[in-house]
Amino acid sequence: MNAIQITGLYKQFSGKRMKKIDALKGLDLEIAPGEVFGFLGPNGAGKSTTIKLMMGLLRPTAGAAKIMGMDAGQTESRRSVGYLPENPAFYDYLGAEEYIAFVGSQFRMGKSLLARRSEEVLKRLELWDARKRPMRGYSKGMVQRVGLAQALVHDPDVYILDEPMSGLDPIGRALVKDIILDLKRRGKCVFFSTHITDDVEKVCDRVGVIVKGTLVALDRVENILRSGVEGYLIHLKMPETESFSFGGIELFRRTDSVSEYYVPCSAFNGFMGEVNRTGTDVLLVETKRRDLEDFFLALVKSAQGA
Amino acid sequence: MRGTLSSALVCILLYGILIIPFTTYLRNKPFLEKLGYVPSVTALKSVAADHKEMVAASLVMKVLMYFGGLSEKSQESQVVIPPDYKAMSRLLHGAVKLDPYNMDAYYFAQAFLTWDVKQYKIANDLLIYGMKYRTWDWYLPFFAGFNSAFFLKEYEAAARYYQRAGELSGSDLSRLLAGRYMQESGQTELAINYLSVMMNGEKNPALKKNYQLRLTAFREARRIELARERYREVKGAMPATVEQLVSGGFLSPPPMDPYGGEFYLEADGKVSTTSKYAFAGVKNHKK
Amino acid sequence: MASIILITLKGIFRDRVFQGIMVTALAFLLIPVIASLSMRQVTELSLTLSLSMISFILLLLSVFLGGTSLWKDIERRYTSSVLGLPLSRQRYLLGRFGGTALFVMIAAVVLGAAAFAVVLYSSAIYPPERPVIWSTMGLCILFDALKYILLIAVAFFFSTVSTSFFLPVFGTISIFLAGGVTQQVYEYLRSPASKSLSPVVKQIAAGLYYLLPNFGAFDFKVNAIYGLPLHVEGLLLTLAYFVVYVGILLSISAAIFIRREMR
Ligand SMILES: Nc1ncnc2c1ncn2[C@@H]1O[C@H](COP(=O)(O)OP(=O)(O)OP(=O)(O)O)[C@@H](O)[C@H]1O
Ligand SMILES: [Mg+2]
Repeated sequence: MNAIQITGLYKQFSGKRMKKIDALKGLDLEIAPGEVFGFLGPNGAGKSTTIKLMMGLLRPTAGAAKIMGMDAGQTESRRSVGYLPENPAFYDYLGAEEYIAFVGSQFRMGKSLLARRSEEVLKRLELWDARKRPMRGYSKGMVQRVGLAQALVHDPDVYILDEPMSGLDPIGRALVKDIILDLKRRGKCVFFSTHITDDVEKVCDRVGVIVKGTLVALDRVENILRSGVEGYLIHLKMPETESFSFGGIELFRRTDSVSEYYVPCSAFNGFMGEVNRTGTDVLLVETKRRDLEDFFLALVKSAQGA
Repeated sequence: MRGTLSSALVCILLYGILIIPFTTYLRNKPFLEKLGYVPSVTALKSVAADHKEMVAASLVMKVLMYFGGLSEKSQESQVVIPPDYKAMSRLLHGAVKLDPYNMDAYYFAQAFLTWDVKQYKIANDLLIYGMKYRTWDWYLPFFAGFNSAFFLKEYEAAARYYQRAGELSGSDLSRLLAGRYMQESGQTELAINYLSVMMNGEKNPALKKNYQLRLTAFREARRIELARERYREVKGAMPATVEQLVSGGFLSPPPMDPYGGEFYLEADGKVSTTSKYAFAGVKNHKK
Repeated sequence: MASIILITLKGIFRDRVFQGIMVTALAFLLIPVIASLSMRQVTELSLTLSLSMISFILLLLSVFLGGTSLWKDIERRYTSSVLGLPLSRQRYLLGRFGGTALFVMIAAVVLGAAAFAVVLYSSAIYPPERPVIWSTMGLCILFDALKYILLIAVAFFFSTVSTSFFLPVFGTISIFLAGGVTQQVYEYLRSPASKSLSPVVKQIAAGLYYLLPNFGAFDFKVNAIYGLPLHVEGLLLTLAYFVVYVGILLSISAAIFIRREMR
């Protein structure tokens, strides 16, 4: 059974003057248990819409989202989910600790377990000192941390986080990355949306890119990185000062006795054959590739152009 | 989803079962409870703030609706429940304290304070209070004049009020009245005149019916009076009973009191009825 | 659901609503003084003023707490966090309603106690003609509270259909005003005095009579003030009416709320 199963999910909003907005146009997605999935997309792509549909906050126009085999419309489907909404807001007259206790009670956690877990998450998210203060006095980042704490406290198997790093300082971001990696190690399923490719590259197993309500890419992170290889920078040991060209590739740069050649993927075999024939020593082969950011930008550009 | 809908259905079903006994119970709630308690007018006045007229109007409406409901019952000749005149009077007095211009209150008070409750003095005091404000209104002195002449027998005051009513209305009617009926013998005609004016001016159907009923009674009385006069002319003596008039062929058909009473001739020949021109009168008489 | 009721209560208390009530309730101290101005019925007047004041405070509470509870949650996006928990929308709605209703009940009890004290004091100094029947007074306050809980249900119903707080607040006030006079209007319509009205108007008014909540039924002030006897059957019918009407309102509200999108 998939942790998250989305089939043909379609969502239409009716905007002003009966104008229809297709926020999501037939999304299919399967996330396995234990998988960390990054959901990338520009502003207004439909990430939050997808997540709200998964949480049963919105009702799909067509299609369905299932969590642990249960339809998102059912209350019980949320029992195994820790959810962090986008720009979260919590009853601001409560303190963090009280709110966490309320969340725990909704998940029917035992008193002592709740106390222990609550202390754990509050300390981990550095909210311990502020835990008794009403949340209306919290900063934006602190509220975001409460959001993470309440998603973690009941230790569910599935995490659905809408932009978990937003509003956090670099230390906070690092902390969230740590937490996600930790969850991954413990075999939990994490589905999170973000704009920041770097986060995805570091922690995700798989990534999906959504543009204008359509999934335009879905692959393992390492595949994307591999497919992004554009060529190699090859360092050759050549004491002679005269420059050679191998297979029609000209010298790129020279420092002391090392010559560097920039070789596109397609020319790699020919180039290396020539180098071997001349008996030149290869010092280093550097892979030249687009990173996930470039990949993402290129995708969005082509999808939006279309 | 299905749960909420079915619970809605169950509740609506229960509502359907419950609503009949519930509304029946509310309809039959004791009248005092229905008329409601009105806290002291001074208190009301301060609470009413800038809505004094509205509060006054709602008080009058309350009395009107209450009375309308009652008179319906009395005309269906069910058990006649004597209206709580005291509470009605209290409400109306409260209303004019809040809004001394509220004409409904004066008209309505005049309608029941006189024949039904026989509180002529209270009625006239209220009218005098109203005259201070509604200085243009010829009805108020007209009422007061009638009360003074017919009930209080204060002919001097009555003449004064009728004079004033005549000046305000610009018609001669009241001025005529001022002179003509200022003696005992003119009472019935005075009443008939007063009642026809009232009936024609009345819009509230319950009140109109009231006037009509009383007018019928007085017309019957007038008929007897005329018969009595003819009898005296022919026979040269006063008749002793109404039956004499009927059997002598002076009065046909025999008179009918719409209030259910019986007309009779007093010792001095004055026409009276056992009902005293009110429903409550019959009951009291029979007791 | 108990925890959402608790959270609701905490919210109301922490918004200093209760302190507000207590400050307003200081006016109770003035009641014996004002009432002593009445020559003949000091106790009756203290009762009237106390009961009216309780009614007024409860009215404000039910309109504003009831009318803004859901709206505030949606507006401030509390719903997206709370409804992301395994908490069904029905339970959430009932919890919010229950918390608000419970608060009104608590307020009624506290204010009722203050009223008891005031009337006790007045009646000790100026003994009334008819003794005060304490149980009637208690029942009067209880039914008053029930009336306003019914009004909260009306406010919740409006909140589920509307996205702003105008409809819940002003709609509730209108229903309160209309529901207070339906009985009178209905009886007027049944009397011949209404003959001149068009039958369509009468039909509509009669329809409204059965549709709108009948707040007049919950008014036992006269009984409390003049010590008139209460009829058990009437009380039970009114209680049953309360339960059923609130049931209808909440079921329909829940059905609407379930379909509502939490954007
Ligand atoms: N309640 C709504 N009514 C109408 N349109 C909506 C509504 N919510 C979202 N949309 C539209 O749906 C589209 C997707 O919105 P969504 O919030 O899912 O984007 P997102 O990917 O989360 O963007 P961001 O990165 O800015 O959070 C947008 O075009 C938005 O205008
Ligand atoms: Mg978003």
